[in-house]
Amino acid sequence: MLFEYIAIATLIVLAVIVALIAIGLGELFGPKKKMEEKSMPYESGMTPYGPGTRRMPVRFYLIAVLFILFDIEVVFFLPWAIVFRQLGLFGLIEMAVFIAILLVGYIYAWKKGALEWE
Amino acid sequence: MNPTTFAAILPEVLLLVLGILILVVEPFWKEKDRRNTGWLTFGGLLAILVVSLLAGRPGEPTSVFGGTIRFDWLGFFFKMLFIFAAAMTSLFMMDVEKLGRRGESYLLLLASTLGMNLMASASDLVMLYLAIETTSIPLYVLSGFIVDDEKSTESGFKYLLFGAMTSAVMLYGFSLLFGFTGTTNLYEIAAAVAGAQVSTVTALGVIALVLVGIGFKVSLVPFHFWAPDTYEGAPTPVAGFLSTASKAAGFAVLVRLFFIAFAKNGLAPDWTTGLAALATLTMTLGNLVAMTQTNIKRLLAYSSIAHAGYVMIGVVAFSNLGVTSVVFYLIAYILTNLAAFGIVAVFSRVAGSDKISDYAGLSRRSPWLAMAMLVAFLSLAGMPPFGGFVAKVFVFAAAVKSDLVWLAVVGVINSILGVYYYLTVLKVVYLYRMEGEAEESHPIPLTRPYGIALVVLSLGVLLIGTLFAPWFSASGAAALNLF
Amino acid sequence: MTAIQIIFILSALVILGAAVMVVSTRNLVHAALYLVATLFGVAVLYAILDATFLTVVQVVVYIGAIAILFIFAIMLTRREMRDQGEQLNKGWGAAALIGLLTFGGLFMLLNNWRGVNATAAALPSGFDGVVELGTALVSTDAFVLPFEVASVLLLAALIGAVYVAGTKK
Repeated sequence: MLFEYIAIATLIVLAVIVALIAIGLGELFGPKKKMEEKSMPYESGMTPYGPGTRRMPVRFYLIAVLFILFDIEVVFFLPWAIVFRQLGLFGLIEMAVFIAILLVGYIYAWKKGALEWE
Repeated sequence: MNPTTFAAILPEVLLLVLGILILVVEPFWKEKDRRNTGWLTFGGLLAILVVSLLAGRPGEPTSVFGGTIRFDWLGFFFKMLFIFAAAMTSLFMMDVEKLGRRGESYLLLLASTLGMNLMASASDLVMLYLAIETTSIPLYVLSGFIVDDEKSTESGFKYLLFGAMTSAVMLYGFSLLFGFTGTTNLYEIAAAVAGAQVSTVTALGVIALVLVGIGFKVSLVPFHFWAPDTYEGAPTPVAGFLSTASKAAGFAVLVRLFFIAFAKNGLAPDWTTGLAALATLTMTLGNLVAMTQTNIKRLLAYSSIAHAGYVMIGVVAFSNLGVTSVVFYLIAYILTNLAAFGIVAVFSRVAGSDKISDYAGLSRRSPWLAMAMLVAFLSLAGMPPFGGFVAKVFVFAAAVKSDLVWLAVVGVINSILGVYYYLTVLKVVYLYRMEGEAEESHPIPLTRPYGIALVVLSLGVLLIGTLFAPWFSASGAAALNLF
Repeated sequence: MTAIQIIFILSALVILGAAVMVVSTRNLVHAALYLVATLFGVAVLYAILDATFLTVVQVVVYIGAIAILFIFAIMLTRREMRDQGEQLNKGWGAAALIGLLTFGGLFMLLNNWRGVNATAAALPSGFDGVVELGTALVSTDAFVLPFEVASVLLLAALIGAVYVAGTKK
């Protein structure tokens, strides 16, 4: 029963091992000369200024919330899509209603400028 | 889909259509015309009410959609109440600044009403939970709708936090119920609980968990903490809707859930005893704390907590008459409290204050508004010939008939406590004068939507108090569907 | 001990340990990452229970979306990532007591249930929960109404979110 997950488990374990090796090797054999420049956050060569933890605009939050809502919508698609062929036309209509309701909301959000980045 | 199945969800489908219509139409209106969204909502809700009454009436109770909802008079009756309350609320919302000209507010109102409708008819835990969330989430946003007002934000936030917490506890109860009985259908759960499958202790534990969520919705002590803060900060029409329709929806769920799923002999006496204790606490605490309030919205919040206690007496009676009295009480209460909050909305819009002391001289500033307030507050106090009086009589009668004389006595004592603070407000309105000002130069104009709503509600309160027989028999027909 | 029991104990330890860290660490971003660990542990539990679909939902929605939202919210609200204030308020004793009582109550509740020690029956061969769910979601004899209502709920949440986050103060 859990055998299906062995591939995923293997992937996770391998990913952790590879990451550990990559960091570990550098840590073990790399030269360590501490300088002030080196301990600065890497900003593609620019000298960083200001605190690193500035407040983000509320837009990000809105985008994340919208993402969650449509993510949940997608979650409903999954079981439906698997049995789509058996369900026939009726199943298609029901899903169309489901999507239509959310589509109205999507268009509304669009129209209200929620998707724009001012 | 056969006609019965469709009729069972007719009001919900129409609500959805109306909501989508508003979403589509509103962005195309100019800023100054957006108040018309309110008229559109009101007209639409009235049309839904009429169409449902003509074409959506239930016959024999039937389970539709695989038993997820029940199509019966009890649910139908509550649905019509919710739609009526939403129509009145949409009228009250129209002239509230930053609320009345936004399509979102009306859409959220409709979504919440749709959720309440499903709450009233759900007979499956999955459906029930979704319905409760569909009701609550729009109300969280509506409470905090005035985003640049700290009080409103606080109100929405507190409501959300308490709501999410209690709903999680209730959901845990639902999941245990499903785990113990292996089904989410209320009638199958009832059979499993009545059999030996679930022991009394387990059932009582589950009941306690579920009661947390419902107790929050109806603001039962000790789950009432949110109510005063939320009502105070929320836009007044929203607070009115919260205290009436949302509370009635909670009772609809309570009655259906407890009277069907937990009605087993030997189990019912246990939870009715518990609920009787909670009812006593709720009434007493609500009334005592209400006496000390200086803000009218907080006073109405505590008064609405107390009223939840009175309604609970009807539930505790656990009889046909009990449910009848619950339904009847809720009709009278919805009309009365909507009127009360409507008056507060009118007053605060002009006077910019919710302090009770600022109501001094109201009878001279606006005799008609003061008259509406007299009707609403006397009905809340339970005075004849208004709806609140008859409702209380029925609830107490139900208690006496079920041998709960002590509870009826507690109720009567509490009503007397209630009369005190309702009359104190009326004293300020009628006997006190504005200091050093001529009241006539500070009139309180009523805009048309407020006028219509207040006239309808005041007449309704009077009508129910005098011609109560048809309402009572309708409530009785609704109650019969449970037994 | 079977392999499943070992996996269960390990993931339970991860869940509980990470959950404690969520509320006790002073760095809010770390708290969010510990939350991800907790949610992942729960996903493993779902997998053990053969709830394939829930596992996917847990990873896609909770770890994929909600954890991100948490991190955004943290970056949105706090200038200082590190909370310097007192971690306990004066009500913590009462809260701990209520928590313990609730736990004790639930423990008793479950202990009272006859099914607590029963082994779950094996699923019939060829049973696919996702297929069953997909069929039930659109069947008029099952959950089509909740399915469509979910869409209304999402719509209301969408409008509410756009309004609250999008309105300029």
